[in-house]
Amino acid sequence: MPVEALASAAGTATMEITISKFELLRELTATQGVVERKTTIPILSNYLFEAAGDRLSLTATDLDLSLRTSCGAKVKKEGSCTIPARKLHDYVKLLPDADITLKLLENHWVSIRCGRSNTKMVGMAKSNFPALPVFPTAGVVNIPSKVLRSLIAKTSFAIANEESRYTLNGALMVLKPESITMVATDGHRLAHIERAGEKFDGISGEMKTLVPKKAMDELKSLLDSTETDAIEFAKDESTLYFRIGPRLLTSRQLTGQFPNFEAVLPKETPKSITIPASELSSAIQRVAQFADERSRAVRIRLEKGELKLSASSTETGESEDSIETNYDGESLTIGFNAQYILDFLKASGSGDVKLELKDAQSAGQLRPADSEDYKYRYIVMPMRI
Amino acid sequence: MGFSDFHGNAGVVHRLREMLAHQRFPQAVILAGPTGSGKYTLALMLAKTLNCLQPVTTDGLPDFCGKCSNCTRIAVAEDLEARTAEAVEARENLRETDKKETRLFIQTHPDVLVIPPDPPQLMIKVDQVRRVIDSIYYRPAEAKERVYVFTDAAFMKEAANSLLKVLEEPPEFATIFLLVENSGELLPTIRSRSMLVTLEALSLEEIEHYLAKHRSDWTSKQRALVARLAEGAVGKARSFDLPAYTAARAHALIILNSALRTGDHGELFKTTETYRAGAEGREKIERLLRTLYGLLQDLMFLQSGTPELLHNIDIESELRKLSEAANFDWIATAADRLAEVDRGMRRNLLRSLSLDAFAAALEK
Repeated sequence: MPVEALASAAGTATMEITISKFELLRELTATQGVVERKTTIPILSNYLFEAAGDRLSLTATDLDLSLRTSCGAKVKKEGSCTIPARKLHDYVKLLPDADITLKLLENHWVSIRCGRSNTKMVGMAKSNFPALPVFPTAGVVNIPSKVLRSLIAKTSFAIANEESRYTLNGALMVLKPESITMVATDGHRLAHIERAGEKFDGISGEMKTLVPKKAMDELKSLLDSTETDAIEFAKDESTLYFRIGPRLLTSRQLTGQFPNFEAVLPKETPKSITIPASELSSAIQRVAQFADERSRAVRIRLEKGELKLSASSTETGESEDSIETNYDGESLTIGFNAQYILDFLKASGSGDVKLELKDAQSAGQLRPADSEDYKYRYIVMPMRI
Repeated sequence: MGFSDFHGNAGVVHRLREMLAHQRFPQAVILAGPTGSGKYTLALMLAKTLNCLQPVTTDGLPDFCGKCSNCTRIAVAEDLEARTAEAVEARENLRETDKKETRLFIQTHPDVLVIPPDPPQLMIKVDQVRRVIDSIYYRPAEAKERVYVFTDAAFMKEAANSLLKVLEEPPEFATIFLLVENSGELLPTIRSRSMLVTLEALSLEEIEHYLAKHRSDWTSKQRALVARLAEGAVGKARSFDLPAYTAARAHALIILNSALRTGDHGELFKTTETYRAGAEGREKIERLLRTLYGLLQDLMFLQSGTPELLHNIDIESELRKLSEAANFDWIATAADRLAEVDRGMRRNLLRSLSLDAFAAALEK
């Protein structure tokens, strides 16, 4: 690393840079999510700043996840230092829009000057900062940002929060030469989305990756704030790498086998209706007010020309709603957790949705009625009611 | 550097290293043994050996180099007290709202997590175990094996329960150490999921021999005394604070003398007055109470005709005089009363008054 070599060659650590407040604050804000707030391991609440060439790179890590970003800066003296992350962010926010000069002093003190403001903060020895994994040179795959963002948005809500089922605490990403699929489940429902018609160079066969929930959340917010067309993805035995423009997110890999989700995808669903998502959503929300608070169970009844939703609990009373449909098969009653259905309707957006059922004991499937680019399906296990 | 620095329990250490050599090291290990027997030292040595980047072999068994970046970083955690103090301080500096939800951890290497009991209750809390569960399934970053060390057996009930699941099926690259004084303190369900390794207290000769090498600044009489007082714990013996102990013992003798023989209250009150309220006096009174227990034990040894078990050998004649004035019932009552004082301390009773009452109640 050239930065390290420079600092050690000089004998004492040095660093002096000037940077615009706007750019610094933008990068600080982007990395705040990774900085550990509640930690008793002091170095993790610090940023690592490294200045070299005409750039300043900032790194934050919580050991599971790390985020490195960089921005242009006038580097007077190359070098590196660490600074308490939260205080710095809070302070820089309050500074006027002008250039900020950062200078490393003795004993890890850092001076921050901006206009007529002058502050000193104490960091820690740079050597305490955890080593960061290095982006692999081979096996890099380009994924369109828009596609990945939509894949994450449509699956991440189904990831389990249960600590005991650790392989479900992430989403499975499957890359094939011409498609990308993402699957997430918590054991009660499963979100599955596939995007075909892409071209992924360097993929032969199938590449399966378990992406931890924390990394998904961070990735989503990074994708939301980028204008880059494609991100670079790579992995080695222990780490996943996502490069989004100038930012690099790394995550340690989770162990374990993602369940064989293909087995739960329903093969035949003879009973199918198409309804506008907004109508279904508001009807369920109304009815769910009267559902049992713990189970959130609502009863769905398919009848000729009509979909009936109802819920009742001993404390609050009972409620029924109905939606007109073109259904003319046998009638069927099935129970679902209202929240699970609402989660899907929120993610799938407006438009019509298809509800496909087999019988009261089998999983139901929900799909957007017209989606050309993505094959999106959502499987919900029924409840006994 | 290496296992040769570990004192005592050669057989146990040998067995553990053989397991390492055969790659059959258990994933959950209870290291049981008295304070100072080297549980924490041994756990860190094993963590280093599991992760050493330039593994060496001594006596035909795996050892660690002590010099590679993994070994040196793990070694930073060796001073548990200092690291815990740092962690407590780090928490003190947090915002009020974050403080409550922050738990103590010591992590000097990204893959080795030490979990000390969380103050002020000094117990392992459920949030600490949750953190372990959250992170244990991530693959190690810079090491081969993720190592978790619980330094105390005082688990909150919920914490112990949530540990069960992960103990039952840890990922293949993780090892969990539970350090306890008495394995009976753990839930039977935790015990049955782990391998129990018991460290014995060291014999008097071993400790005296060790002290002769490492504490040559003490006289042989002092070393003999410390070896007995350390009760088989080599770490405790080496760092024994002899002046503080002697001072506490002088006070303890004044209290016992006042109760058993002279009844000179002037001296008693002058002594007990120095035990003031407040946090800084806490260590002092705890030391005094422990010393009092030790002296009562010695009196009991003399009463029962087993003077060879005596701890405070340097004041044997004084203890004999005391023991002539006491009898079995008196010693038993005194021990009970002392336990009451001990409990009272936890309820923040006035220290000096509790000690006065203790001495007065035992007067003959």
